[in-house]
Amino acid sequence: MSRKVSISAREFETLATSQLSALLGVASRLTRNPADAQDLVQDTLLKAMRARDQFEAGTNMRAWLLRILTNTFINRYRRGGLERSVLDGPDADPLADGWISASTMESMRDPESQALRPMLEQEIKRILDELPEEFRLAVVLSDVEELSYKEIADIMGCPIGTVMSRLHRGRRLLKGRLYEHARALGIVGPEALVGETAEKTAKQEPVIDLSQYREKRVARS
Amino acid sequence: MTSSCRQIAPLLEAFGDEELAADKLLEVEQHLVDCDTCGERIRLNQAMHLSVRNAVRAAAPVMPNFEARIADALRAEVLREEGLDAVVEREAQHPRMLSWRGVVPVAAAAALTLVWAASTGKQAQTERPVSASSASLSTADQLLEELVDHHMNARGPRVTEPALLSQLEPEVGVPLNFPSLKAYGTRWEGANVVPVNNLHAASLRYTMVGGKHVTLYVYNSTRVPIESRLKARTVRNEPVYVGSRRGVSIAATEHRGVGYALASDLNDDESAELVAAVY
Repeated sequence: MSRKVSISAREFETLATSQLSALLGVASRLTRNPADAQDLVQDTLLKAMRARDQFEAGTNMRAWLLRILTNTFINRYRRGGLERSVLDGPDADPLADGWISASTMESMRDPESQALRPMLEQEIKRILDELPEEFRLAVVLSDVEELSYKEIADIMGCPIGTVMSRLHRGRRLLKGRLYEHARALGIVGPEALVGETAEKTAKQEPVIDLSQYREKRVARS
Repeated sequence: MTSSCRQIAPLLEAFGDEELAADKLLEVEQHLVDCDTCGERIRLNQAMHLSVRNAVRAAAPVMPNFEARIADALRAEVLREEGLDAVVEREAQHPRMLSWRGVVPVAAAAALTLVWAASTGKQAQTERPVSASSASLSTADQLLEELVDHHMNARGPRVTEPALLSQLEPEVGVPLNFPSLKAYGTRWEGANVVPVNNLHAASLRYTMVGGKHVTLYVYNSTRVPIESRLKARTVRNEPVYVGSRRGVSIAATEHRGVGYALASDLNDDESAELVAAVY
């Protein structure tokens, strides 16, 4: 069972500075600006030091610091909370929907493709930065900081189900964009739609505009 | 994709994150024994997590000067707290009649005194107990005198290119952005690092039309407290502290832990205006 503990300022200084890399990584992806990220980390650590009596022994200090960092970011840069997820159109995932084969997936994580790692890292950073903040934070906290769903929910102030949904959507967007990138680099070849998904897609109704959709809905009801 | 793959697919992400309940875990593991495609899907997910981790960590390395800046900020906070504790203890041993309004400034002043005394190693010289507030004021007085001395006896610049200012950051411990102040008719001469209160401040030197000089000091504001001997005023909604010593006008302000103090041959109004424009 967790309990509040008394940590001396000097003990806290040692514990907190060991988390510098994690805090700076998350702050950099949140602010997307190195100078702002450094300011955010400094503010976070000073706030945390003043509030260290609130830290509960037996819980994850990194998660606690990241919660303060996220709240500081929201208060300073986003008065109304994290940027909402606004996505244009369906964010279909060719990989998750079974549109491509196992061999293509294998090519995407092939050791040979890893030679392109620096380029890939740049691309991942760019795609991550383009994700809505809610998705980006969930992905970074899970994939980079390896926090549990419960810890991420505490940091983001939302239910675990919402964390799972944000993670799923964020990763799906990321994966889809990386697949496009891998195709552009020739790491994977173009694939025809296969199996049931292809049939389903072929049967899809043609795209209609919003007014047509409303008319159709009224007619149905 | 088989029908059993479709049932398993929604569980694969939680499986990879090790967040799946025991019964579902068994279900997925049994499926993976026979299904290469879902196995590959999991391996791809894992490879992606690793790539994201590498990309995020590579994009934000912790540089030594940032580490030093954070260590300085935390250490200053430690010293501040220890100073406050000492005051509380002393007050408990020798209670005096103090109003609530008086306690806070005196405690803060004593903390500043202790920070200063600790950093200069002069505790042993303090034989007679000195009142906390008067000691603090003399600390601030001394700091202001040092700034004026540096302004009046400026050394040659170590850096004359604005782009090279960042070379001084490790010594000063705060980010140094170049304020050109050209709009105010100044010409930048260069920058140096000067000792202030046993710490270091960057000193940026400007010359104005007519030969007047301006020295802008940039420092860690948590460690170089000078505002207590200056008068507060507001310039463009920002708090600025202004005063003068030996005919030198001084104006100071603070932004996100970085202190800016300007010593100049200008009048107080001009100094205040100029210092409010530096960040």
